[in-house]
Amino acid sequence: MRRLLSGVGNGFAEIWGHKLRSLLTISCVMLGVASMVLTTGFMEGFFKNWEDSLQDQGGIEKIFASAQGVKERQEPFAAVSPGLTLADARALSELVTQAGVISPEIDATLPRLARAGKTFEGRRGARVMGVTNAILEINRYEIGSGRAFSDLDMHDDSEVIIIGSKVREALFPSGEEPLGAFIDFNNRPFRVIGVLHNYERFWGTYNTLDWKNEIAFVPVTTMATKVQRSDRLSFLNLKAANISHLRETVDAATNVLAQQHRGIIDFNVRTNEEQLASFASTKASFVIGGGAIAGVSLLVSGIGIMNLMLASINERVREIGIRKAVGATPFNIFSQFVAEAVTLSLLGGAAGVAVAVALIKVLAATLPPGSTPLLSPSAFVVGFVFSVSAGVLAGIYPAIQAAKLDPIEALRYE
Amino acid sequence: MSLAPEVLRLDRVGKRYPMGDVIVDALVDASFTLREGEAVAILGPSGSGKSTLMHLLGFLDSPSSGEILFEGRPVAVLTESQRARIRAEKIGFVFQAFNLLPRLSVRANVALPLAYHGSPPADAEDRVDRALELVGMSNRAHHKPGELSGGQRQRVAIARALVNEPRILLADEPTGNLDTKTAAAILDLFKELNRLGRTIVIVTHSPEIAGHFRRQLHVRDGLVTEGGVA
Repeated sequence: MRRLLSGVGNGFAEIWGHKLRSLLTISCVMLGVASMVLTTGFMEGFFKNWEDSLQDQGGIEKIFASAQGVKERQEPFAAVSPGLTLADARALSELVTQAGVISPEIDATLPRLARAGKTFEGRRGARVMGVTNAILEINRYEIGSGRAFSDLDMHDDSEVIIIGSKVREALFPSGEEPLGAFIDFNNRPFRVIGVLHNYERFWGTYNTLDWKNEIAFVPVTTMATKVQRSDRLSFLNLKAANISHLRETVDAATNVLAQQHRGIIDFNVRTNEEQLASFASTKASFVIGGGAIAGVSLLVSGIGIMNLMLASINERVREIGIRKAVGATPFNIFSQFVAEAVTLSLLGGAAGVAVAVALIKVLAATLPPGSTPLLSPSAFVVGFVFSVSAGVLAGIYPAIQAAKLDPIEALRYE
Repeated sequence: MSLAPEVLRLDRVGKRYPMGDVIVDALVDASFTLREGEAVAILGPSGSGKSTLMHLLGFLDSPSSGEILFEGRPVAVLTESQRARIRAEKIGFVFQAFNLLPRLSVRANVALPLAYHGSPPADAEDRVDRALELVGMSNRAHHKPGELSGGQRQRVAIARALVNEPRILLADEPTGNLDTKTAAAILDLFKELNRLGRTIVIVTHSPEIAGHFRRQLHVRDGLVTEGGVA
């Protein structure tokens, strides 16, 4: 321990003795470690964001069924299929027991929301959907105030509406109580029974979750009978009750829909699984890419340290001879040089972590939230392990060279 | 009269170097014994083999033939680490070129052999102080070697050689780089150390310096002969 400390002390003395050379070597390690920590941070930030957005879309247990054009060979018979309708939702809920939640959704064509002379514009215009309460669970909406739809609302095709926070802001600008008030949906008065939570995740100044705020829901039955006058569904989403039965649930839903549609495949059933698979494969390739970057930086800083150590040995041949003459064993010399290399690389590592932390803080403050790197504790571990191993690996060869020096040759060396 | 215990004995020691195509006999069948408390000058012109002899005495080099015994035990069977250990604990080296480490302070230079001592003495700090005091360099402990004169540097080198209280002090042309006056002072220091009981071997090309020592070994063309005992 005492010798190790004296080795570290020597390391500092050497670093001080060759400020520029040491600075260059330390910068090598510093850049390596900083790039490692930053890359890790960006990767973690990226994956975190991706996972969050996957969750916002209903998570991996969500199954999407939507209408799609039929294949060419089925075109002549396409008309025999009733298309994706409310009847499909009923059939699914009766026949597909693995489906935990079934959410039939009808998107209103050209909806118009207005109140007291004000029309809701929103960023991309109003979106009004005919839904059941299932959408709250599947697409993760929460009622902020008021209530969800009741069975009676559904049964009676009631003219009630749940509005998003942006809609509320636009139509009730002076903070009037929206609950119980009436707003016009396509010139038909609907009573507001609920207001959704306000959702925010900023990407710069852009709220990526605004689509959840610029929305309004009416009962799907009301939408079918009184607004669209058709029970054609825009979407039919399911949620598997048990994630481990996702595949079976998809198969069952596909079969039921095919039977409902008289064999005409004018629908498409898909899951988030493909996204998840691409998520996993992207993650794997990122990790491999990150590993390659780490390897290259390790190599570069290793070469830097080794170069410095070899140069320093050439300069210190005489010192090695003197040390041997006063009683240093080859192992003493070896450990001295390894300790010096590790001291150098640890300094570089510490500087690298510091630089990376500073950069991450700056980037987090300036970059849009979706792409900011995360500062993970693993970064520190990575930086430490990285720099110590670079130091040891690069220090061993020069240290062996130093330990092997013949003391007489070394003493004669001028 | 009983003889003092022997420190080093050379028994028909030879050393050959290949030098290009020819083999050079740097040392031929050298046999002599160094006893505790002796002060010996090894005298010879340059190239006579006296430096080779010096390196052999300090186990920095191994003989091509013959045997070297330290405190009665053959050195040849020791590993390099064991020899280093003996060098650290029982042999002090003084060189013509001082060989101090320029980046370390006087004090750190003197303390250097203590770091390689097998069981570091508890009074390490005191030893450094005592060694510095003995050579009269206590007031320069925190200077760097570069800030000292040649004579002062050699004093520091001698303090370094003494810090582990070695059985034997080996000095290779210790006054070679010094002016006459300083050289005389250093020689006086060696004589004083010998008077205090230290075994001293000094290598020199100068008969005048050798004359200061009781026993002289003459080296010429690799042959070692006992000189006059003054």
